Amino acid sequence: MPVIYRVNMSDLSVRAEEPREGYGELGGRGLTSAIVAGEVPPSCHPLSAENKLVLAPGSLTASGAPCAGRLSAGAKSPLTGTIKESNSGGTAAMALASLGIHAIVLEGKPRDNRLYRLIVNRDGVKIEPAETLGGLGNYESVGRQFEQFGERIACISIGPAGEMRAAAASIAVTDVEGRPTRHCGRGGLGAVMGSKGVKVIVVEPAAGERLKAADPAAFKAAVRKFAEALQKHPLTSQTLPTYGTNALANVINAAGAYPTRNFSEGQFEGTEAISGERQHDVILQRDGVIAHACHRGCTIRCSRIYVDEQGQYVTKGPEYETIWAHGADCGIDDLDAIAQMDRLDDDLGLDTIETGATIAVAMEAGILHFGDARGAIRLLEEVQKGTPLGRLVASGAAVLGKAYGVSRIPVVKGQSMPAYDPRAVQGIGVTYATSTMGADHTAGYAIAANVLGVGGRVDPLKPEGQVELSRNLQIATAAIDSAGLCLFVAFAVLDDPSALAAICEMFAALRGRPFTGDDLVALGKSILACERRFNAAAGFTAADDRLPDFFTQEKLAPHNVTFTVPDEELDKVFDFVA
Amino acid sequence: MARVKVSLFAALRVSIGGKPSVELEIEPGETVGDVLDRLGVPADQTRIIFVNSRHAGLADPLQGGEQVAVFPAIGGG
Repeated sequence: MPVIYRVNMSDLSVRAEEPREGYGELGGRGLTSAIVAGEVPPSCHPLSAENKLVLAPGSLTASGAPCAGRLSAGAKSPLTGTIKESNSGGTAAMALASLGIHAIVLEGKPRDNRLYRLIVNRDGVKIEPAETLGGLGNYESVGRQFEQFGERIACISIGPAGEMRAAAASIAVTDVEGRPTRHCGRGGLGAVMGSKGVKVIVVEPAAGERLKAADPAAFKAAVRKFAEALQKHPLTSQTLPTYGTNALANVINAAGAYPTRNFSEGQFEGTEAISGERQHDVILQRDGVIAHACHRGCTIRCSRIYVDEQGQYVTKGPEYETIWAHGADCGIDDLDAIAQMDRLDDDLGLDTIETGATIAVAMEAGILHFGDARGAIRLLEEVQKGTPLGRLVASGAAVLGKAYGVSRIPVVKGQSMPAYDPRAVQGIGVTYATSTMGADHTAGYAIAANVLGVGGRVDPLKPEGQVELSRNLQIATAAIDSAGLCLFVAFAVLDDPSALAAICEMFAALRGRPFTGDDLVALGKSILACERRFNAAAGFTAADDRLPDFFTQEKLAPHNVTFTVPDEELDKVFDFVA
Repeated sequence: MARVKVSLFAALRVSIGGKPSVELEIEPGETVGDVLDRLGVPADQTRIIFVNSRHAGLADPLQGGEQVAVFPAIGGG
């Protein structure tokens, strides 16, 4: 029987409960959003005792399905003020699922302002004081847990940024090497965890898989079909393991959509130096690792291990978004400097997208010159020291930009735009503007059809077809985010009908009753409807579903194009919500 | 003489010895596909083609002066 643990940080008590009506069949984002929308007052302060932080594996996690090990974290976001779900790879989701844990919900707030850790194992959840971990980076504090508990644990942790309750603070999750390199990055959920006084959650998994299907034979067949589809698609079987997520840098740059120097141009002259191709060559020359899985059971293996010239470990990846944010967006073309910044972000516990974008706004503000890599590293050291400037850097681009009187701030609902300029990829512009999450690329990844020729082709430079594209992807993604599946399976799903069929067959075999493509769509729609209602109650209106004005006014080179999807069209994305 | 610059990416670079790009002389009207054939790039491995940063296809003709970028199946984050 799956269990939900209610961890009350006000009175330091833990209660185990069976999932109540409506929570039982949900997982991942479906579950986190249902709990947050059902139990958190939409008007509450995100750092108050009334907010709740929900940590949930997906419906398919630890079932034997490949690429299903993602952990969803959900709460009201201190960065956006909206409902937020942010998910991460790494080992924690499978560890929680192996114990039959449906979700852990952190509630309340310590009265004594102290720091705690949670120990989670087959005996339940224990709260222990953890003052000695205060102020430590994620690497050191997680390292101490491995020394104490051995190498089979998984850790969920915050760094100094989360302890500072900074709006760009992430929640770190350990990878298969036990390093805190995977993150629930977006939306400042690390600050919520910090406001609840929890520094680290140690999970001691049970051996073997725990999720048993109602029809094991049918489940096994569906898993095989799904695995075959992932093996057949060149993206999930070749390009991603070989070049990683940063394979995208040269494509997006060639398309004229690679945001450069705070979204002032669409191509960066230094792209080749920070490209996936170069990263691949550097890693192999230095005896790093490519084709690396961030969690056991991932067959795509898009991650990698980055080392310095002496072959010493620096960081994972870094990923496409990180390299863009600290690279092209800042005018920086030094891959080693970017890797150093990724390491600092992971250790401090910061969203790399938000942090890179914030440094770029700091450059626009004149705090540094564009291209100043050493200066950018010094800004992160300010965060480490907890200075007022450091706190501004850790608060995200909107806050730092406001403090310095910057007018070109590329955010929606307070969250920074990721690595695609919406003027040159209008479909992602629709997602940025309308997603319940703020400016978010994974929420409805229109790049697939706009640029990559995956799941059809929609001209990226024109407004036609973008609303339908974004809407369909937002619906599908909400459903995939509930399964614990890595979104990269979508590349196969969008091109190969057998992949989508296999996902539905896995759900059906799991539950012991039919589950079709229509049911998947209904699941996605109901999650989005629930999130939209929360945001409306929190005070969000159509006026918040817009891009900053400069995207409709300032032409972007090389295409000399602005964002032209009309406001009335943006307001149709959620026309399926009553 | 009409010239084009052809940039190849990821695994396609093997066709030009690992270099990121080559410049070629062409007859105006030669298609993207013709040029790729000359370089030994298998057509079935190409997935995304840009001519001057706009989406293009193998059958599109070139006149000279274009920047052509060709990718295999690529995706990422």
